[in-house]
Amino acid sequence: MKLAALALAALLGIPLAAAAAAEPSECHVPDELSQIAVSLPHLATRLHDKDPVTIVAIGGASTAGAAAGSPDLSYPARLREALAADFPKSTIRVVNKGVPRQSAQQQLERFPSDVIAEDPVLVIWETGTVDAVHDIQIDDFAGALQHGIDQLKNRAIDIILVDMQFSHSTAAMIDFQRYLSTLHRVGELDDIYVFPRFAMMRYWSEQNVFNFDGVADGERAKLAARVYDCIGRRMARSIRQAIP
Amino acid sequence: MLVWRFDLKNGVNPRLPAPARTRDLRLDFFRGVALVFIFVDHIPENILSYFTLQAVGFYDAAEVFIFISGFTAALVYGQRMAVKGALYATAQIWRRAWQLYVAHVFLFVIFIGEVSYTVMTFNNPMYNEEMRVADFLVHPHIAVIKALLLEFQPTFLDILPLYILMMLIFPAVLVSIQRRPLLVVAASFLLYLAVQILGLSVPAYPEGATWYFNPLAWQFLFISGAVLGQSSARGVSLPALSRALMPVAIVVLGVAVVVRLSWTLSGLWDGFPTLLLKELWPVNKTDLSPIRLVPFLATVVLVAAWVRPDEPFMRTRLARPFVRAGAQSLEVFCLGIVLSALGHFILAEYASGWAMQIVVNFVGIGAMLMTAKMLDWYKAMDRVPTPRPATVMRPGRGDEAPL
Repeated sequence: MKLAALALAALLGIPLAAAAAAEPSECHVPDELSQIAVSLPHLATRLHDKDPVTIVAIGGASTAGAAAGSPDLSYPARLREALAADFPKSTIRVVNKGVPRQSAQQQLERFPSDVIAEDPVLVIWETGTVDAVHDIQIDDFAGALQHGIDQLKNRAIDIILVDMQFSHSTAAMIDFQRYLSTLHRVGELDDIYVFPRFAMMRYWSEQNVFNFDGVADGERAKLAARVYDCIGRRMARSIRQAIP
Repeated sequence: MLVWRFDLKNGVNPRLPAPARTRDLRLDFFRGVALVFIFVDHIPENILSYFTLQAVGFYDAAEVFIFISGFTAALVYGQRMAVKGALYATAQIWRRAWQLYVAHVFLFVIFIGEVSYTVMTFNNPMYNEEMRVADFLVHPHIAVIKALLLEFQPTFLDILPLYILMMLIFPAVLVSIQRRPLLVVAASFLLYLAVQILGLSVPAYPEGATWYFNPLAWQFLFISGAVLGQSSARGVSLPALSRALMPVAIVVLGVAVVVRLSWTLSGLWDGFPTLLLKELWPVNKTDLSPIRLVPFLATVVLVAAWVRPDEPFMRTRLARPFVRAGAQSLEVFCLGIVLSALGHFILAEYASGWAMQIVVNFVGIGAMLMTAKMLDWYKAMDRVPTPRPATVMRPGRGDEAPL
């Protein structure tokens, strides 16, 4: 039975490591949210040559891992662990450059010091929340994204964009939609993978997997850590799929 | 024929006394449709928004609303100015601006209520950090004053400030377009061009924000609408110009619709080819990009040529609710804004399936159209003079004839 499952996994091209990694069932998302259509060529070369890899995660409070209470519990830290298990022959370093309350433009201004200086081969750029909260003009948002993407592409750095977090109460208050579709359209135009965090978290919320209502204060950080853990794992899974 | 004429025979409700001067029903109809589209487009991820103007045109209902508002303002206040003088017309225009301002403040209070409630009951740690920026409750003393000064414009509360500003300057515009209409259009267009070239904008609150509808650019739509309204009131028709523009307008609009529709369809089906997306997107709404303006003006030319002022369709049962909504535009607009926020909340909080979306749209549009009908009835009844019992004498009222 197990052998059949493994054979099936091999047949479908799912890396065995993925089948073997023990992902909590709460992290499950529908298939259409776990597909990745682009490749990450520069990262692939490094991993293939078993060279050390530096990944920079630049973003806001949710990249810093604020809600979980410790940087070790942030999604970049969880991503690093998942990747290290999948690619044991490369030394993988994930640098966390999450700074709360910054727009895409402000994050872009940190690129020289926080991103380029680290000499990464992959940049994970989590952005858009503050732009939506501050109602920043769509053109300026799209412009900042494009500018950042061009900078990284010119330096032969792979990119993953990460969209916003989903939450019921904010969804009713802030119009994320325009910023979400802008982010995804920029990704589409530039052939860049946009990690669908918003859709995933909405799915978890609809399935009642993670629900913050009625959770005691002491438990909230633990719950947040579980969400970050799932996001890190899902992202590692996407990266594996993008490595031929 | 590029001519917008008064039709003296069409009352809004023929059974009740007609207002002093009746309206071009096309204006009310298209404005009514625009208000419904604004409601629909303001609900994010609404399937019905695939059937509004923004899905097929580079422009959306905002252009229609502002243009028709300029056009109607010139008709209504131009006539009053001619009959009762510039001073009286100015007072009337500013009274309208005041009504708009009060409506804006009313919407802002509803917005404060919604946001304060959400923020104060908000307990999702995943967002606390980022939400603190949105939390204008930290500086309410500044935020409220900035809102009263029209500088703080939360989402969806951004079109009324533009309209209010336009009404504030409208007396001067109205006087000028009666003397030198072409000069006014030229000046307005130059300002629009300056925005496109130099990137002029009007600062807003918080620091670094600008007016969502840049008034320096959008004034061109309002003023060109007003100039056309003014010339239609004078019975000026421009058949030669309209004939010359027709083929251009057809081509422009045709190309715009095909390109824009390809974007919409590719959003629905991955792999549907997008035309010129890389070259044209994103289209700037704040500064009223020419990519929005030109197809809109093409539409104006075609509508003026193809839809007659006495179009029988405007009096059918299908069109009437929209005509009424357009005639009661301020109330219906405000209701639409409140309802779209409510609809958004319901979809986000309870269910977002397509069935629920249909229900939310249906109920919201129904409420808007029914309200328009009620207001239409009420205002018509208001115009019916109430005969007072002849024996009752009221002290201090000299206008009543004693027995």
